[in-house]
Amino acid sequence: MANYKVHDNPVRDEWTAKIGQLKTLSKGHTFLNNFRKTHTTPLRENFDLELDWGWIECKIEEKVALLKHAELDDHQFLNNCICGADAQEVADTAVAAMDACTDKYEAEKLHINFRIDCKPPVMPTNVFMDADRLLGTKLMELRNTNYYALSLEELRIERGVKVITVQ
Amino acid sequence: MAISAATKAATDALAVNRAPTSVNAQEVHRWLQSFTWEFDKNRSKYPTKYKMANDTKEQFKLIAKEYARMESVKDERQFGSLQDVLTRVDAANKVHPKWNETMKVISNFLEVGEYNAIAATGMLWDSASAPEQKNGYLAQTLDEIRHTNQCGYVNYYFTKHGQDAAGHNDARRTRTIGPLWKGMKRVFSDGFISGDAVECSINLQLVGEACFTNPLIVAVTEWAAANGDEITPTVFLSIETDELRHMANGYQTIVSIANDEAASKYLNTDLNNAFWTQQKYFTPVLGMAFEYGSHFKVEPWVKTWNRWVYEDWGGIWIGRLGKYGVESPASLRDAKKDAYWAHHDLFLLAYALWPTGFFRLTLPTQEEMDWFEENYPGWYEHYGKILEEWKARGCEDPSSGFIPLMWFIENNHPIYIDRVSQVPFCPDLCKGASTLRVHEYNGKKHTFSDDWGERMWLTEPERYECQNMFEQYAGRELSEVIAELHGVRSDGKTLIAQPHTDKDGKMWTLDDIKALNCVFSDPVDAL
Repeated sequence: MANYKVHDNPVRDEWTAKIGQLKTLSKGHTFLNNFRKTHTTPLRENFDLELDWGWIECKIEEKVALLKHAELDDHQFLNNCICGADAQEVADTAVAAMDACTDKYEAEKLHINFRIDCKPPVMPTNVFMDADRLLGTKLMELRNTNYYALSLEELRIERGVKVITVQ
Repeated sequence: MAISAATKAATDALAVNRAPTSVNAQEVHRWLQSFTWEFDKNRSKYPTKYKMANDTKEQFKLIAKEYARMESVKDERQFGSLQDVLTRVDAANKVHPKWNETMKVISNFLEVGEYNAIAATGMLWDSASAPEQKNGYLAQTLDEIRHTNQCGYVNYYFTKHGQDAAGHNDARRTRTIGPLWKGMKRVFSDGFISGDAVECSINLQLVGEACFTNPLIVAVTEWAAANGDEITPTVFLSIETDELRHMANGYQTIVSIANDEAASKYLNTDLNNAFWTQQKYFTPVLGMAFEYGSHFKVEPWVKTWNRWVYEDWGGIWIGRLGKYGVESPASLRDAKKDAYWAHHDLFLLAYALWPTGFFRLTLPTQEEMDWFEENYPGWYEHYGKILEEWKARGCEDPSSGFIPLMWFIENNHPIYIDRVSQVPFCPDLCKGASTLRVHEYNGKKHTFSDDWGERMWLTEPERYECQNMFEQYAGRELSEVIAELHGVRSDGKTLIAQPHTDKDGKMWTLDDIKALNCVFSDPVDAL
């Protein structure tokens, strides 16, 4: 239960202070990646920051983008991920894995993990957006084929939900 | 009068070989098509499962000059009427007060829809590869900009010239308090601009525009006129004159993918999901706005819905697309069940949650209650008695210390919010088709109200992460949330929303709400 204000609240203050401590791109990258894994996407590790995760993630991204601007040169800025890897190679690897994928749940994880690992400012936007389009297209194709093949009961089991109540 | 030899020579020459004074519009259109890029080698920025054909035609073939001339004439008529005649006859103050409140909802919400349609049609321009098809989408982008301004102008006009401006002006600042904005953004925003580009076209053009603009933009003008509102028909009918081209664009989207074999795997699923997404919100909200937001009635919503949604759209319009493999959505049958009772269910909840809104709701008068019972037999026994009880407890008067939300709590009727549509529902009380189902996934509980939405979430859970007000404000006191999220008038204490439109009635303030000590709690915590 989050009994505090929407905009100015102690949770955002606490994370603002943590973000202020990030002084290098390497540390900022690790911090952002850990945050996304723990607090974002349906596969997140917990929902402790359910109300504020989106705002906090934006603030971390802002800080990492500034650190990136300070540490990378123009060529790196357009062509490399912030860990130094060639952005197009990373994107091509993800797209190849998706091309080979035939299972919609595996495809879903591939896409979500690509976003956790690479969403800007980690990967240059010019490379990320096109790879994300290709991954999304394949995921939608897999999800929308034989859409009604399973009954709702079967689909709940396949998705792995715990049914609390069904009227 | 004598003319010079040179002038005569020139005049004679022109008589033989006349200089062109106009060009055939179709000729210009064909000429413009030659100024194009190699779109067949272009790729879109947006994902789509479909392949749009390179030679798709556009039915209207409008060119920019014709378009601008046509729209400027419409704007002259519309703004001329509003600023001259309608202002001089004090039209905004002749609108029935109940309908004045309804237009706070309708025009503000439609403005959001039009704004998102700008982005949606821009996306479709990018996704299509046929020059004519792009031309059709581009004209629609321009239309949607015009419509956004028009909707904004309706609220501006009511604010400047009419009665009770609060809610007409700056309604968007209240968008995070109650559930109505979130459901609206699910259909008008997410539905139009997220996911597959062609799916967005199906949501916007094939369902939103071909199916629901008749009830929304045309029917609303009848209800408006009946309730003394000459402003809304002046603007909304001008908007509607553009909608035919938008419906044609939706038709051409289907034509453009018809020869793609893969399309048959996805098209009817996308159409079914788009229809369910749009109707889940529009069916109850429009019915509630018309019937409970008016004093003078036109025809029962269920009849309007059957004629325009079920027969005209589900039968005739979709039937014409049958040759391309399009089938009437399977969810149409379930939607038909909702068209009878769902808007009455929604009014109970909307009235119970009135402090979270940005407009004034009113309990039906005896005359209106008789109309409901006559047109929806069984209405009084289920809904009428509850509304009478609320009125008897003084729900309109701040000194009563009672808002109907307390009645739901006292009688153990929990209100839930559907994760996919964001529409609230009370499974204990509803006569519509909603039923409760709650799942826990990865440590988080999710509430749903129907099979179609539940399937959409089970298939694509990351699309439906919107938090509802019970999750957002659990543990917080109601007046504190309203104050923080700008739900008060310019005096800083009187609520924008009120449970009556009585000019002599007392207005509720933050202090009145605070005295109730209503604290938000999430009903799924009790499960």
